[in-house]
Amino acid sequence: MVSVVEILSPSFLLFPALLGSAILALVCPLVGAHLMLRRRVFLGLTLPQIAACGVAATFWLHHAMGFDHGSGGERLLAMAGSLVFTLVGMGLLAYLDRHATGSPEGRLAAAYALASALTILFIVFNPAGELEIVNLLKGEVISLSKEELKLLALVYGIVYVGLALFRREFLLNSFDRDLSFLLTGGGVRWSLWLYVLCGVSIAVGVIMAGPLLVFGFMVLPPLAARTLARGMSSFLSLSSIIGLITAVLGFYLSVRLDLPLGPTDVAFGCVVIFAVYAVQAVLRRGRGLVGFLIILLVLFAGCSARQPGAPFDPSLLNREPLWLAAVRNGTGLDLRLPGTNPLRSLGEMAGKLSPDYRPTVMDLLRGSLQRELQQRQVIVSLPEERDVRLQSLPFDSVSAAAHARMAKLSGWLWLSEIRRWHTDGRAPLRAGVEMKLVRIDDGAAAWQRQVVKTVPIAGAMRLDEISADAVREILRDVFGQ
Amino acid sequence: MSKAPLLVSLRAATLGYDGAGVLHGVDLDIGAGDLIAMPGPNGAGKTTIFRTILGFIPAIAGVLTRNCALNEFGYVPQSSALDSTFPITAREVVAMGGFGRLKPYQGLPAREKQRLHDVLEEVGLAHLAGRAFFSLSGGQRQRMLIARALMVGPKILILDEPLSGVDPESQKAISELLLKLNRDEGKAIFFSSHDLRMVRSVTDKVLRVDGGKVAWEEASEAQHPW
Repeated sequence: MVSVVEILSPSFLLFPALLGSAILALVCPLVGAHLMLRRRVFLGLTLPQIAACGVAATFWLHHAMGFDHGSGGERLLAMAGSLVFTLVGMGLLAYLDRHATGSPEGRLAAAYALASALTILFIVFNPAGELEIVNLLKGEVISLSKEELKLLALVYGIVYVGLALFRREFLLNSFDRDLSFLLTGGGVRWSLWLYVLCGVSIAVGVIMAGPLLVFGFMVLPPLAARTLARGMSSFLSLSSIIGLITAVLGFYLSVRLDLPLGPTDVAFGCVVIFAVYAVQAVLRRGRGLVGFLIILLVLFAGCSARQPGAPFDPSLLNREPLWLAAVRNGTGLDLRLPGTNPLRSLGEMAGKLSPDYRPTVMDLLRGSLQRELQQRQVIVSLPEERDVRLQSLPFDSVSAAAHARMAKLSGWLWLSEIRRWHTDGRAPLRAGVEMKLVRIDDGAAAWQRQVVKTVPIAGAMRLDEISADAVREILRDVFGQ
Repeated sequence: MSKAPLLVSLRAATLGYDGAGVLHGVDLDIGAGDLIAMPGPNGAGKTTIFRTILGFIPAIAGVLTRNCALNEFGYVPQSSALDSTFPITAREVVAMGGFGRLKPYQGLPAREKQRLHDVLEEVGLAHLAGRAFFSLSGGQRQRMLIARALMVGPKILILDEPLSGVDPESQKAISELLLKLNRDEGKAIFFSSHDLRMVRSVTDKVLRVDGGKVAWEEASEAQHPW
């Protein structure tokens, strides 16, 4: 299991994803704080949806013009669509705010509904690109490539610098537009620049991280900061700081509990708001420190996950033989790997392999386990080589040991079951495996370990490559390297 | 009416919104050192005159002349017009008055900090500078907004209902502050109020607004408080 310190290390496998989250969490709350000050916080909900509609519309147009999906440049195309729709939508809303009657909130709600409906319709018109669009709209910050991370850092860096440099002008313009007009001569100009910065950050953020995370980071940290801040400077800085804390701890929880990052961050952001309000309420009532400590205790107890088990220690075996059972597939999925091994055809020609046979993730894991154990001077045997009836053993310790005793095996049984092994080809591979060491004599488990891993697919092109990466990660956990 | 150098002049002006006149035939001169009150019922068009002078809306007809730049106007809006959800301190509100002199990326220089301190002292609220602006009483907020207008370094102060919604003690304090700024510093002051009695206790230059017209009150009608 990883610790917070580990995920903050640049050598951590998912560090780029954490960096992406942190960039979003630093800048989005600033954007959201400005929208909140202008009572335009629903723009933060509507604009990401308009951006999503832009993505779907662009893909539909791309397809209608005869281009195939998967021809490359989809993300660039999506970015362009997102940006154009966001800026045009924002301009239109701003125009209506100035010239139309009726409630601005009503207009935002209507725009949100329309953008949502059009997004779905564009996807329906373009079934060929449905998966690609849905993936892009879902936005997995965890699967950002290095180039995308650089682009995100560049765009959000510009937005951050813009918001920091012109903080005074934006604040004055939000607080008292009349005075802004008198002193800076450009009430509309400053509003326009602020909305352009907001629009660009939303359009790019939606592509990189999806509408949910962008809206969550725009709204939740400023809401928490609002109750703590004693002035505008502290409001803006606290919004970013709370955003950053939410991103790091949310990321940690997501990795540790094997949860999707976006919803985890948003849910954790809500917990932060409740905690801030609760702490304030307790402090106001004068029971300060005790109450605060109780809340902290409850929070940390609630958030703490299972303690990781100890790595496998070969001395447990006491030099007795180890029977490495076939790995069970508990996922319900077909985990066969694509056949690309050039030796495979030779094997088939020699009659050693059936043409129907494909290696599986279970084979991959078992082979790697066998090598690791042998490297530790453990004598490893395969149960089915002693008795073909032991090709598949139950994962239950007592039953497995009983089967082994019937085949007159002695020593130890190593049982493994894959509980989760899933990726859609773009999102990271999420893997969950349970292993245990069972004494054949009595069926008692002397050691057991659950490993949950989220492995980015960056660099890996195929399921076998990704799975090999995941197996390496799992073994690192099991053997404590 | 005024013999001092003219700062603002309106001649035969029609004022209103989106081409629809609210006030017609408005003639008004504001000279340096003038203290002019503008009483009138709610909705009579007092704020429309202010907004036209300040350039927020154009005059529909007639001539508007300004002999000072827009950033030399110190404008004090009604504090209820500001968004009370802002987590802003009184010091931050007052400091906004100096933003016109600063470059976008420039920090607050020492002379501006000194000026900030001076205007807060002038309105007698330096001790409340660190408090949340919207936690202050109505009268204190109004004086803070006057401090913000003074921070601009204005030639003319325009105050929209500075005496409304405040307790009698604050009304007195604000009235005395306006008189001091006018007499001691020579600031031109133009303010509105719907309280005619209070207006008359401050100045004898009274421009009445009612029924779509403006008219100067005869000097003999006014009572001189000083």
